[in-house]
Amino acid sequence: MTETQKNSIVTEPRGPKPRKIMSRRNIILYGTLLVVAIYYLIPLYVMIVTSLKGMPEIRLGNIFSPPVEVTFEPWIKAWSQACTGLNCDGLSRGFWNSVQITLPSVIVSIAIASVNGYALANWRFKGANLFFTILIFGAFIPYQIMIYPLVILLRDLGIYTKLPGLILIHSIFGMPILTLLFRNYFTTIPEELFKAARVDGARFWGIYFRVMMPMSLPIFVVAIIMQVTGIWNDFLFGVIYTKPDTYPMTVQLNNIVNSVQGVKEYNVNMAATLLTGLVPLTIYFISGKLFVRGIAAGAVKG
Amino acid sequence: MIYKAQLERLFVSSVMLAFASLALSIVGIKSQLFQTIQFLFLFIALISLVVLGVQSKTIQFNANRLKKQIIGWLLSSVFSIAIWLFAQKDFQSIFPALKGYKKALNTLEPFAIYAAIVFILFALILSIVGARDSRLDRPGFIERTLVYNLSSKIAALPMMFTSIGIFVIATLWTVYHSFTNSRMLPKSEFVGLAQYERLWSSDRWYMSIENLAIYGACSLIFSLFIGFILAALLDQKTRFENTFRTIFLYPFALSFIVTGLVWQWILNPEYGVEKIIRSIGFESFVFNPLYNTDIVIYGILAAGLWQGTGFIMCLMLAGLRGIDQEIWKAAKIDGIPMWKTYIQIVIPMMRPIFITTLVIIAAGIIKVYDLVVAQTSGGPGISSEVPAKYVYDYMFSAQNLGQGFAASTMMLVSVLIVLIPFAYLQFGRRKYD
Amino acid sequence: MNSIEIKDLSLNFGNVKVLKDLNLSVEKGEFLVLLGASGCGKSTLLNCIAGLLEINEGQIFINNQNVTWYEPSERGIGMVFQSYALYPQMSVKGNLTFSLKNAKLSKEDIEERVKNASEILQIEDLLDRKPAALSGGQRQRVAIGRALVRDVEVFLFDEPLSNLDAKLRTELRVEIKRLHQKLDNTMIYVTHDQIEAMTLANRIAIMRDGLILQLDKPKTIYNYPVNKYVAEFIGSPSMNFLKGKIVPNKIPVFKLEGGWCETPDLSNYKFKEDIKEERQIWLGVRPESIVVGDEAEKFPVKFNLEAEVVEPMGADTLVWSQIGGQEFHFIVDGNSTINSGDSLRVGFDPVHSSIFDLDSEDRL
Repeated sequence: MTETQKNSIVTEPRGPKPRKIMSRRNIILYGTLLVVAIYYLIPLYVMIVTSLKGMPEIRLGNIFSPPVEVTFEPWIKAWSQACTGLNCDGLSRGFWNSVQITLPSVIVSIAIASVNGYALANWRFKGANLFFTILIFGAFIPYQIMIYPLVILLRDLGIYTKLPGLILIHSIFGMPILTLLFRNYFTTIPEELFKAARVDGARFWGIYFRVMMPMSLPIFVVAIIMQVTGIWNDFLFGVIYTKPDTYPMTVQLNNIVNSVQGVKEYNVNMAATLLTGLVPLTIYFISGKLFVRGIAAGAVKG
Repeated sequence: MIYKAQLERLFVSSVMLAFASLALSIVGIKSQLFQTIQFLFLFIALISLVVLGVQSKTIQFNANRLKKQIIGWLLSSVFSIAIWLFAQKDFQSIFPALKGYKKALNTLEPFAIYAAIVFILFALILSIVGARDSRLDRPGFIERTLVYNLSSKIAALPMMFTSIGIFVIATLWTVYHSFTNSRMLPKSEFVGLAQYERLWSSDRWYMSIENLAIYGACSLIFSLFIGFILAALLDQKTRFENTFRTIFLYPFALSFIVTGLVWQWILNPEYGVEKIIRSIGFESFVFNPLYNTDIVIYGILAAGLWQGTGFIMCLMLAGLRGIDQEIWKAAKIDGIPMWKTYIQIVIPMMRPIFITTLVIIAAGIIKVYDLVVAQTSGGPGISSEVPAKYVYDYMFSAQNLGQGFAASTMMLVSVLIVLIPFAYLQFGRRKYD
Repeated sequence: MNSIEIKDLSLNFGNVKVLKDLNLSVEKGEFLVLLGASGCGKSTLLNCIAGLLEINEGQIFINNQNVTWYEPSERGIGMVFQSYALYPQMSVKGNLTFSLKNAKLSKEDIEERVKNASEILQIEDLLDRKPAALSGGQRQRVAIGRALVRDVEVFLFDEPLSNLDAKLRTELRVEIKRLHQKLDNTMIYVTHDQIEAMTLANRIAIMRDGLILQLDKPKTIYNYPVNKYVAEFIGSPSMNFLKGKIVPNKIPVFKLEGGWCETPDLSNYKFKEDIKEERQIWLGVRPESIVVGDEAEKFPVKFNLEAEVVEPMGADTLVWSQIGGQEFHFIVDGNSTINSGDSLRVGFDPVHSSIFDLDSEDRL
């Protein structure tokens, strides 16, 4: 045995290679991610901090400094006293309006789109694909071009500026992406299952309610997450198809913050902003991966 | 001699043509022609029904194998007649409760009368078709259209209504009216391209287009670039991947209004970033994008990127995860450095995802509206206007519908310029494979 | 009485003709196997019978009733699928009763039928489980049970054993045969596995490109394949095909291409028609009808060759060799001591061979 061989036996590392935590690669990788993460978190931090300060403190300090004296006054004011135009009952009105808009819109739009997707996936009929193609095309057309004819339609039906009107609008514009979502999901369910159900004597609705729906709960949850955040965050349809009494929260928030009268109360504004963002944020943090799956499914497969 | 199949086709197509002319007569094109021709088509349908009946010499109800369907259509026609009745003034004066729904009923009236006639025709033709012996004949065109897969067709009605009734007809309606001089209310008075001439000579429109171009180009480049880099960083078997992803994506859950308002506050020169930097000692530091007409759009861009990049990162990450892991091993064995693997192998492999993402970003850009409204309301002056806001303002505030229509048509055109090549690439290519 | 009768059935997918003018009748109580390579249209045919695909032309009769335009559930059939197709959210019992509830049967009747079926299939203990908690074999039993409870005349099996491993496949195969003997129902069974086909069938229909090539008893198909494709498809290891020609002297004589046969006497072979002139042919011989050694002398056709590769398979040994440049393999007893390189004398009786025209590949 030569000298070098002996040495190599001795110096050969034993066990798993030790992992260097502070390698250059890791510093760059995690350093970059951390900096970006801070950038992403700053607005949230600023919102929270500002909403907990009193106005004098805001005028003196800077927006990043934590509150010296924590006050919940702005939150209360934003919720129940902030003014939009002549109404001074705060965001609570908008909140309840948004609830009233969102719940039925989500239910109606998902009910329609899931049945649509099911018909497209399992019960194709001649011409179905033409309608579907137009529908998907419609998802990319700017809403602006369809806004006004819809105003006329709703006015003729007598539901312009009323909640049913806005629910109809959300169902219509939610349809392309939801139908796509459900159609794609239903086509992944093995066709033999559908065939077995037909041999077993179930028809269109029987198969939908008793075979397909119980199997598709995850996709329904994804759809609900998508729709709740989407409809809650909507501004354009809210501002067009409702009137001040029925304004959803986003519209009311914008009116509170960007109103030109009176002294600007930044802390109240930020509290109001946070309040409006709270519902989708809560859903986002609770749903986690399903949210990601929802947006990815809706988008990538298109 | 006309064959049975041709007669059946004639029946169905004349019913559909009648419906098309009905729809046209209701949507804006209020010419008498379409209202009359509708009944002509229905009459043709009736004649073909009679001829079919004479040819097959049977019409029965009781022993009919399609009895259920016939009853269904009859019930529907009764329902339609009821709606039509409710819309009549005399009837409304008997039941005053109906007056509350007067508007809706009046809108539905022409449809109701059409539907009532058509449903009765359907019931009649099924009583002829259903009397035929299904054991000898294969089902004809009528049976296949009206009976087969009926539940599916009914279930797809909302989709048909939305795709044709809203997406196609509403779009055409707006395009059509962009050539009129509608002001407070839509009119049918043609003025040719006058609205477009006015649009393209307006400073505000130019500013909107310019802003959209800057915002669009920058957000396309930056969100793709940053999104891809972030995705690549998270794809290194990174620890805390979920935490980082949650942080990068949370702004996407927030509305543009919230985003705009937060960034309005952060960029506020009196209290925000400018004040902080000055308080550190740079007394003459100027950073007030929202109050500077030249750079205001970049202020909006910053907010937009903050909101949307996480989403792009998620799409990219999904794309990266879809790539065969063997590729990395192969590249490592071949000694190709990582950055080179990304540029030369991974990115070309992700082409479909990049294209889809591009289309999604582009479709989102053109709709930009809420963000601007919340952050700057188009100001200072008109320096942060965007087309979507131009449309809204002219339609609902300035009461100049024609301008709004023309502007929205221009938006449509620009989307189609992006969309048609994409659709061609996506669907056209598939045919050749 | 015919249980199933198919007349002139055609099916197109767009411009592609998937099934072409098929005619088929299945007797009551018969076990018919549709056999073919993937893409031959066998599953498609089964789906047409079940009513899951709408046919373009022709008629289908089940129990002498024209069911061409009936819903699948109205046709009096039960179907078992390759992927089992159990409803995952329902228990085994829920799976069994789904069709009965759809048919609105009385509660007692349902209980009775579930009891019977689960006894026959020995799944009584599994009734409350979900499909996910079952093994592959158990799942397929439940799937069969789902067809069984419906108390129908006709059972349709769509490659029911393909997803199982080899051992279970044999077990369930026997079980299906037992079930058939017990119930005496008409069964149509689709498979690409020739062993399943040979063991289960009363009759086999071999399909290719949407056509039925041969419909006969398994034995007949094995012994008298109508063309080279069928001959190749049935039998394992597959048939030898020797290219050559027939010379009609006093007796028909085989001339091997590129080689020489000692006594090429084909007079034992039953030709469909007399051979009047020289013809190019394939001479097909099954590996198992070839005899080696001294015994070979007794047979009309014999020749010498050299063993190239010897594969012992336990009971048998498969020997690969060549004759006149054409591949030739045959089976000898597992105890034989043949080694590669040995010179062998082999022979066979043309009565056990099949002769096909070289061009049309049809049996002569």
